[in-house]
Amino acid sequence: MPPFRRILVANRGEIALRVIRTAQEMGIETVAVYSDADRTALHVRRASRAVHLGGNRPSESYLDIGKVVDAAKRSGCDALHPGYGFLSENEDAAAACLAAGIEFLGPPPAAIAAMGDKVEARRIAQAAGVPLVPGLQEDVDEPRLAAAARQVGYPVMLKAAAGGGGKGIRIVRDEKGLLEAFHLARAEAKGAFGDDRVYLEKFVTRPRHVEIQVMADKHGGVVFYGERECSVQRRHQKLVEESPCAALTPELRAQMGAAACDLARAVGYVGAGTVEFLFSGGRFYFLEMNTRLQVEHPVTEMRFGVDLVREQIRVGAGEKLSPVPEPRGHAIEVRVNAEDPETWFPSLGRISRISLPGGPGVRLDSALYRGLEVTPWYDSMLGKLVVHGADREQAIARCVRALRELRIVGVATSCPVALRALQSDEFRGGDYDTGILERIDRKPPASRRELAMLAAAAARFLVAEQAGARAAAAAHGTGEGPPRWAQLGRIERQRRFVP
Amino acid sequence: MKYTTRFGGEQREFTIERHAEGLVARRGDVRHALDLALVGDGQTFSLLVDGQSYDVVAEVQGEQVTLQLLGERFVVHVEDEREHAAHAVAGHKQGGRRELRAAMPGIVVGVKAAPGDAVAEGQTLVVLEAMKMQNPLAAEAAGVVVRVLCKVGEPVSAGALLLELE
Repeated sequence: MPPFRRILVANRGEIALRVIRTAQEMGIETVAVYSDADRTALHVRRASRAVHLGGNRPSESYLDIGKVVDAAKRSGCDALHPGYGFLSENEDAAAACLAAGIEFLGPPPAAIAAMGDKVEARRIAQAAGVPLVPGLQEDVDEPRLAAAARQVGYPVMLKAAAGGGGKGIRIVRDEKGLLEAFHLARAEAKGAFGDDRVYLEKFVTRPRHVEIQVMADKHGGVVFYGERECSVQRRHQKLVEESPCAALTPELRAQMGAAACDLARAVGYVGAGTVEFLFSGGRFYFLEMNTRLQVEHPVTEMRFGVDLVREQIRVGAGEKLSPVPEPRGHAIEVRVNAEDPETWFPSLGRISRISLPGGPGVRLDSALYRGLEVTPWYDSMLGKLVVHGADREQAIARCVRALRELRIVGVATSCPVALRALQSDEFRGGDYDTGILERIDRKPPASRRELAMLAAAAARFLVAEQAGARAAAAAHGTGEGPPRWAQLGRIERQRRFVP
Repeated sequence: MKYTTRFGGEQREFTIERHAEGLVARRGDVRHALDLALVGDGQTFSLLVDGQSYDVVAEVQGEQVTLQLLGERFVVHVEDEREHAAHAVAGHKQGGRRELRAAMPGIVVGVKAAPGDAVAEGQTLVVLEAMKMQNPLAAEAAGVVVRVLCKVGEPVSAGALLLELE
């Protein structure tokens, strides 16, 4: 007996398809929802049923709790999977499902609310014994300043209490510059937020972003599925993720896992969640908890041989957690974003051609198809390439190989940036941090540039030659090639394929 | 046919000719045997350079060729002899007027320069919003703003002329 009869998938793109796939394997029907622009999207075509929500603006469709929950009720769903983004970390959506008698496949509303409020989340983490970035979390004044900074240890960061957007932040490397920086931070905070309160915390140098995957059931069971390292980022956007993290010892992994599980227990967590940490100098500090399935969850799935969506559905139905299998090998994920690799601008357009990678240890989670229109309405992520190898070296080589096989025509993708990161000495060495993309050489090697220029010239030559052959053929009336081109048998054969 | 190619500030000239034995590319004294075959209905090519095999995607749009090669992406400017000569003449007449165009469709959320402003290379001139992201568009070289053709709140399509520099 499947645990649910029918699940509404309240999302779009690759994650909607990801959920539909597992539900199908479990014998559960699925209901897709869609906006005008997504009528022909793969999640609509692959689901058992589909319900139109409204306009292309997320607020008119995927973010409209009333419409989404109503669609679930009308189509007879007994569960709702929110995916990531959209309504996945919205306690009102979880509460609306609860009220409608529909199982929300995520944590209870109170847990979402507690972890969504960053101050509250830190308070709960501290109470649960989870390490925070050391510092004074309240307003510091001048008399206490120097002593506090010395206690925390340099470098320290002064931050506006009401802050955001990088304003009112000062990094201080030693006591000499402390007082001046304090006054500057105060003035900036006052100017930007009308509130000159400043707090002080340790500045974590060369941080790595390491996160723990947790899963909890409704019987008090909490487990963790190792870690993921997500330090290859640009503008706080993750680009490459891997598991295991090259810097963790088994002891540290056990400590981080225990801390993450303690936090999940402290908020009465249910389902899949991720506890994010900063890792630096052999120590880890709590950042935040994401109360949803993460984009990068396939890294964990590949390494542990599990289906986390299946686990979400099972624990949502009240079943107990499955035992966590022994992890094996190494997994890497690369996000495929519709972005210009040089400027990082979104790249919009119609996908005119795709060629997907294959072979051993390769998985591609995407909702790509030929003819897909990439619009400005939604996130620029097109999909994720995930590989598994016997060890880290093999996984990197496999990922590079698969990236070279992947061809998407019609929009530019971020893949060349990921490729250069994977091939950099810093990444290969394993000792990297969140600044890696700023440091690696983004230019292809000289021999490759020369080859590209030659290939480009050759492409123009062939295009011109074919145009000439077509014009000559047209001038001679029939499709018969003129004698001058008769020797170019290959060109003539190809001519028939030119639109 | 002689081609002038430019990529990332570098320029190379290649001569490509079809001989009885096949395609030949020359750059100075270096000679390569080429075999270029179209795969399917266009844009994907199988390229053999002296027997080395490359699977290439090439989108040819006028003089701009966007290549996917070994996982990298290259936007190469390629001129044939005739185009090269035409640009040399036009370049003298133009006097170095430069344009800022929208790199993507979006909504103008900031115009940071006015006619008469002297701007530095890399200075943000217009901010475009697309996919919930704010994208600064910067001056490619120093100059003086001649005309501003967009205003805040206005939606623009990809390639739209936003601003002219001299």
